[in-house]
Amino acid sequence: MNNPIIQRELVGMLCTRKSLLMQAVPACLFTLLVALRWPTDAKVDLSGAQAQEVFALFGYGLLATLILLVPAFPATTIVREKNRGTLALLLNSPLSPWAIYFGKLTGVLAFVLLPLIMSIPAAAACFAMGGLSLWNQVLALYGILAILILQYTALGLYVSSSANTPDAALRVTYGVILGLSVLTLGPYQFLQGKDWGAIVTVAMWLQSLSPISAIMELLGHGDASSHGLISVPGNPERFVILSLVSTVGFMLATIARLQPLVFDRPRPQGIITDDRSTGQQLIRRLIFLVDPQRRKSSIGRFTNPVMVKEFRCRRFGSSQWMLRLVAVCAMASLGLTYTSTAGTLDWGVETIGGIMVILQVSLIVLITPSLASGLISGERESGGWALLQMTPLSTWQIVIGKLLSVVWTLALILVATLPGYVVMIYIKPSLSQQISYVLFSLGLTAVFALLLSAAVSSLFQRTAPATVTAYTLLLIICSGPLLFWMGRDTTFGHGTVEAMLMFDPLAAALTVMDAPGFAQYHIVPMSWWLTGGASVACLVVLCAQTWRLTRPQ
Amino acid sequence: MSQDAVVVTNQLTKKYGEFTALDQLSLTLERGHILGFIGPNGAGKTTTIKILVGQARPTSGTASIAGADCVRDSKKVKRLVGYMPDTFGSYDNMRVREYLDFFGAAFGIVRSARIKRIDEVMEITGATYMKDRFVEGLSHGMKQRVGIARTLLHDPPVLVLDEPANGLDPQARIDMRLILLRLSEMGKTLIVTSHILPELSRICDHVAIMTHGKLRAFGTLEEIMRKVSQQRTIEVQLTSPERIEQAAELVRKLVEPGVQVEVSPTESIVRFPTKKSEQELATLLARLIEANLGVSQFRELQADLEDTFLSITQATDPQPAEKLVAAGTSGGARK
Repeated sequence: MNNPIIQRELVGMLCTRKSLLMQAVPACLFTLLVALRWPTDAKVDLSGAQAQEVFALFGYGLLATLILLVPAFPATTIVREKNRGTLALLLNSPLSPWAIYFGKLTGVLAFVLLPLIMSIPAAAACFAMGGLSLWNQVLALYGILAILILQYTALGLYVSSSANTPDAALRVTYGVILGLSVLTLGPYQFLQGKDWGAIVTVAMWLQSLSPISAIMELLGHGDASSHGLISVPGNPERFVILSLVSTVGFMLATIARLQPLVFDRPRPQGIITDDRSTGQQLIRRLIFLVDPQRRKSSIGRFTNPVMVKEFRCRRFGSSQWMLRLVAVCAMASLGLTYTSTAGTLDWGVETIGGIMVILQVSLIVLITPSLASGLISGERESGGWALLQMTPLSTWQIVIGKLLSVVWTLALILVATLPGYVVMIYIKPSLSQQISYVLFSLGLTAVFALLLSAAVSSLFQRTAPATVTAYTLLLIICSGPLLFWMGRDTTFGHGTVEAMLMFDPLAAALTVMDAPGFAQYHIVPMSWWLTGGASVACLVVLCAQTWRLTRPQ
Repeated sequence: MSQDAVVVTNQLTKKYGEFTALDQLSLTLERGHILGFIGPNGAGKTTTIKILVGQARPTSGTASIAGADCVRDSKKVKRLVGYMPDTFGSYDNMRVREYLDFFGAAFGIVRSARIKRIDEVMEITGATYMKDRFVEGLSHGMKQRVGIARTLLHDPPVLVLDEPANGLDPQARIDMRLILLRLSEMGKTLIVTSHILPELSRICDHVAIMTHGKLRAFGTLEEIMRKVSQQRTIEVQLTSPERIEQAAELVRKLVEPGVQVEVSPTESIVRFPTKKSEQELATLLARLIEANLGVSQFRELQADLEDTFLSITQATDPQPAEKLVAAGTSGGARK
């Protein structure tokens, strides 16, 4: 503990209320899970099936908790120091970049390991139920998760060293983690079993970047992409290798950035495309489609100025990136549908539809908080709120303008995936009503995600904690009930799973789509009512809080 | 009350729980005047300003701007006041022109008039050359100019500027002073808070000195100085420091008993405060010359706003000077 940064980071974080919550909440949840499934009669389950079921749920729950919690802390630590000016002081001290980095890494790592440590008693209880292997299952799970924490902490610190604001760092970190854990599973889904040599091997290794495959294999569920008997073992080992290699890469890249030269940047001179030569203007138009550096026209008479302001001052979600995202979405949905119709994969329309629903909800969950969680908190943090208060704009105009700025973006992305559904209806016209229900579910999910993030934003003074809270709540709501679904008909009965899925807008879309594993649950329209009710409640909170903020103190 | 009164506060009081941030403030400011609000941190300046611009509600008392009550007519007040807080309120990824365009649109200025008005306010504040720059990339001095341009967009009769000169370099301070004087010439009424007292004394025709939420002095600069400076400070400059102790001894004998006579051998100066009349001081000078001490100058030090502020606040606050030096960015009430 000679490194002063470790002391400051770790002791500072341990003295906070969130530290207590991070220790208490996971410990209570996991204890509750084991207690619920603890045998109540005197019979001994010699097969160990019950212990395996509980351990599987425990493992997935722990993985989900860590994916949610871990990125929030490393992602903000360096960028916050940079913005407060304390990083410059540290770089001017005799501490070397290595000492600064390892001080931060150790401090944050010790803190984010807490939920893992606090879950050990619950894991021990699972082991005590019998039927589990200590080395091959319990310790292997903890080993994989510890490596995962190290990798995500190193990734978070790297992003933090490159970002300009804490909320941008959070967005990028969560985005990269979503990509690493979910999107990496995609290519192998399509390529497995094919005789394409190195490409299949690369896809297999790519899949191993995701901790989901490794954990599924450890818990005896094959791997994420397995179909029938096609399943290639060795995911945990490959995950360990890839994680450690990428961790070292992130570490070296971050240390390389921790130099005084990181502050050696000129002020942007505000070069504008309109002042460039015609040739340059043409090239920029081709590259960007909507050139971010063009001179923008004045705000129109009947346009909500807050909406235009939000569009203009947002880096993430600016037009040129959104257009690219829309194009990717359209191509992905068409591509998925094409593979289904061309017979490349014998998945059926329902499976393809289910994948599309999951991808769309993932996009909504990834994009919405990053766009909406700073709507109000960002204004308060930058001092812009006091200026908005001094304008004649009403609370309603402010709220509408801010919400519209996100609604347009989300609508564009959702509309971009329509071609895929249109092709599906063309193949199987009887699906038209079912797909219209799916689209309604997705629209409702987007509205809920938007209003929840905006309501959270109105409750915080800074964007970074608002972003983390919005992401956490959305991920809990969208993926929490799926943990019950994973234990369906074994750990949890049909009624319990159905009741839990009612709260999940993603599950509503999947059941409407008759996706495999969801067809037997009847949660619509009750789920729509619940999501709609929650959306209205969020809107009330948003309006009331915004109105309160516009009043004199 | 004068017909020309633009800003009027009457027994204005603001309490946060047990803490009184503002205690029965009453003042009147007429059209076209510049009022300098002076006081250490926590004196109640920012609280007063927030009430005036409708961002805080007084516990008791009233405040009005151009006849509009700051609480009941807060919508009207928004159009009458241009407010520049001590924080700039920057938006990412926005150019200066877009930034001003947004606030112009928020005030409901139609597009064609807004385009013209943006050009005008940028010209007034000398910000035209930075119209295409990104707001977040501006220097502090540039941001202050853009901040003032923003307050002028809807052409309000009253401007409230919280610490406009704070953190500016000497040239930027001079520029800021010229901008404020120009606005005054345009008929705007200005309320300016600052910790930089020499700067305020150059632009303000009225001064309000506050400590602990109370108004300690209010009036024109001359009125306040006259009231405060009943005691003058005299400096005797000698040609060399050899006989400085003799000169100090002679002064001690001739001025009021107990007066602290300050001796500065490096400057060859003897300095002392006195309430003696002109005639008595003439006699003192004659005695010093008679003693052949080598007197080269005998002068009265001019009291400035800083001295005035210290004189007033020392009566109510044991260490006001320290607070003033420690003043970082702004005043502000404890919340």
